[in-house]
Amino acid sequence: MKFFPKDRAPSGKILAYCVLVFHGAIALLAPILHLTPTDEQDATTMLQGISFDHWLGTDGLGRDVFSRVLHGGRPSLVIALVATAIAAFIGVSLGSFAALAGGWIDEALSRLIDFLLAVPTLILLLLIASFFGQDPVVLSLTLGLMYAPPIARVSRASTQILLARDFVRVARLQGGNGRTILVSEILPNIWQVVFNEIAMQFTWIILAFSSLSFLGLGVTPPTPEWGLMIAEARSYMTINPVSVIAPICMLASLVLAVQALVDHE
Amino acid sequence: MNNILSFEQVRVEASSAKDADFPILDSISFKLEQGESLGIVGGSGSGKSTLLRVAMGILARGLSLASGTVVTAGVDLLNVGPEMRQKMYGNKIALVPQSIGEALSPHRTIEGHFRDTLGSAASIEKMVDALVDSGLEGSKFLHRFPHQVSGGERQRILIALALVRSPELLLLDEPTSALDRDVAAEVLATISRLQEKRRFALICVSHDFEVVRRTCGQLAVMNNGRIVERGPTDHVLTKPTDSYTKALLDSIPKPNHRIRESHSIGSHSVISANKISVIRGTKNRVLDSVDFKVRQGEVVGVIGQSGSGKSTLLSVICGLVSPSSGSICNEDGFDLSIPLAKRPSNITSAIQLVFQNPDDSLNPKRTVQQSLSRYSGATVSQLIQVLESVELTSTFLSRYPSEMSGGEKQRVAIARALLTQPKILLLDEVTSALDVNIQAAVFQMLAKVQQSTKMAMVIVSHDLELVASFADRLVVLKDGRALEHGSSQLR
Repeated sequence: MKFFPKDRAPSGKILAYCVLVFHGAIALLAPILHLTPTDEQDATTMLQGISFDHWLGTDGLGRDVFSRVLHGGRPSLVIALVATAIAAFIGVSLGSFAALAGGWIDEALSRLIDFLLAVPTLILLLLIASFFGQDPVVLSLTLGLMYAPPIARVSRASTQILLARDFVRVARLQGGNGRTILVSEILPNIWQVVFNEIAMQFTWIILAFSSLSFLGLGVTPPTPEWGLMIAEARSYMTINPVSVIAPICMLASLVLAVQALVDHE
Repeated sequence: MNNILSFEQVRVEASSAKDADFPILDSISFKLEQGESLGIVGGSGSGKSTLLRVAMGILARGLSLASGTVVTAGVDLLNVGPEMRQKMYGNKIALVPQSIGEALSPHRTIEGHFRDTLGSAASIEKMVDALVDSGLEGSKFLHRFPHQVSGGERQRILIALALVRSPELLLLDEPTSALDRDVAAEVLATISRLQEKRRFALICVSHDFEVVRRTCGQLAVMNNGRIVERGPTDHVLTKPTDSYTKALLDSIPKPNHRIRESHSIGSHSVISANKISVIRGTKNRVLDSVDFKVRQGEVVGVIGQSGSGKSTLLSVICGLVSPSSGSICNEDGFDLSIPLAKRPSNITSAIQLVFQNPDDSLNPKRTVQQSLSRYSGATVSQLIQVLESVELTSTFLSRYPSEMSGGEKQRVAIARALLTQPKILLLDEVTSALDVNIQAAVFQMLAKVQQSTKMAMVIVSHDLELVASFADRLVVLKDGRALEHGSSQLR
């Protein structure tokens, strides 16, 4: 992946990079900025609008929305990054192995991938969350497993195309085994396509995790998280609409930026 | 006389600053009048296709006209809008593209294609006349789809389509590169007959002097974007003055001229195949009871038309395809019908295959050094040595495939095969994607390698003359069967 290939990067791409850098920076820097503590409640300043003390107003418990919005991406990003790494590892290994092995192994793994794709993700996540509680490790693992099949599919298809290429056949004739051929010949050539798919799955995972939080099964209150903030603030949306709009904007801008970058590749 | 096409000091450059010193076209000047024909010959990258496009008023993305003017049928096509260009196509200028397989829509009948071209002026009579002029039985073809006609017929249909609106200028891009030799000769005869009759101006671009000799009165030789020599075809062919033209003409294989001299051939076979058959699907016999032997130090040429099973034979020998029946073994009697993955590594590395398409046989993400040393484990000095044996320098070690020409890539692919010190080297149409002069150089290099290593070679090609001038023995394949074995000298 080149950052600014050829002549000039399109302005949409530059904007997307800026949004991503912005999200990364606030996720990293939020704890060291001198913000109002996210769990500081003040019964005297409940449901206030935008003011100098509270830039985005306060929520139903008098907590500072601005501070919570800036912190709210941290759990989603950490869980999504870990889960995406798991999904990428499972997906790429499973897909490329199926293509390389061929025959009945390929057939069996492909059916397994189809089966996983057919399972309704959110329902399974709800089931697992209600069973194991809101354990971030279990959640990351489940999300990783649930979002691996599309990556596996793309990896398998691109590997199959490459297997028909002459340089891969030459590698076999020169005595290369499955592992060396995968690492030296196939992965470098499918990486760009597969990476785009992984980036797409990253956005779905973020949305899925926020949905879980919205339903009360992601993070535990009072941890600030965008999905949870939307859920808590929607009952007094008419009094301080910013407290709903702000986390929605953050979530949407992150997802849109990643998808825009994938589109530009 | 009526001036149809004129180029005046045309210079076309790539827009990126890096390539400014290497213009795609440089000081191109010529005039073409009604009834004249100009053949343009040159290697790949010499600018001949760009010249053809510029004549049609098209500049590929990233190219720009730096100076000069081009006037086609009285119009400066590079400086008019797309509607005007569209109006000129078919009416005044017509192109027969190189890839005849893709030039016709698979979902339209031949009649449909004529209707698209002629518009409201379409009539069955006109279509039949155009087809008959191109040497086809007109009415028989109108209702056929493109896949229902042969390559030669398709080329004639494309010519008929191009000429049906009586253009003043016909442009041919490699008109016979996809055709067998006999069919090509017939198509070329049709072109020159039509040109004599209709008096259109003709430009024919080809890498093959023979094509131009048969169709064009004038010949221009292009190299690095310049016309290096121009004159009456016969004159240029018999008394070339430019050194590049001479080199191109010298590299054409001449009858009874051997590129490689035969020398001692061992008595035992390095490969012996007995009645091998390969069946694809249920009953499609790609190879049908083929007996095939290669002795130590012997060069066997395998020729046949496309689809005759040549490449499959090589795939069976090297293990990429397992035979459906029959036996194949090496000199020690090792059974070569078992899959590649189950063979010991010394057996695998003793048989190496070089593929037809140099663009596909090197990993685009790896440098030459990485590609060469990945499986052989060779040291840098060994790599330099093998590169020298295929006449490349050590500077190539750090290059990526995208930084090399087709001929250079093919040499690297051959070097990679040589690194495992194979006992038998299989060459699958290794030069068909290369220019004529580079083809000859690659074969001369292969002859030297064979001389010094004494390895056996199986060389597959559809070019009889080239193979005959190189191989000790010929095998002809037709529809999966081996037709004849014979000494290549007995032609």
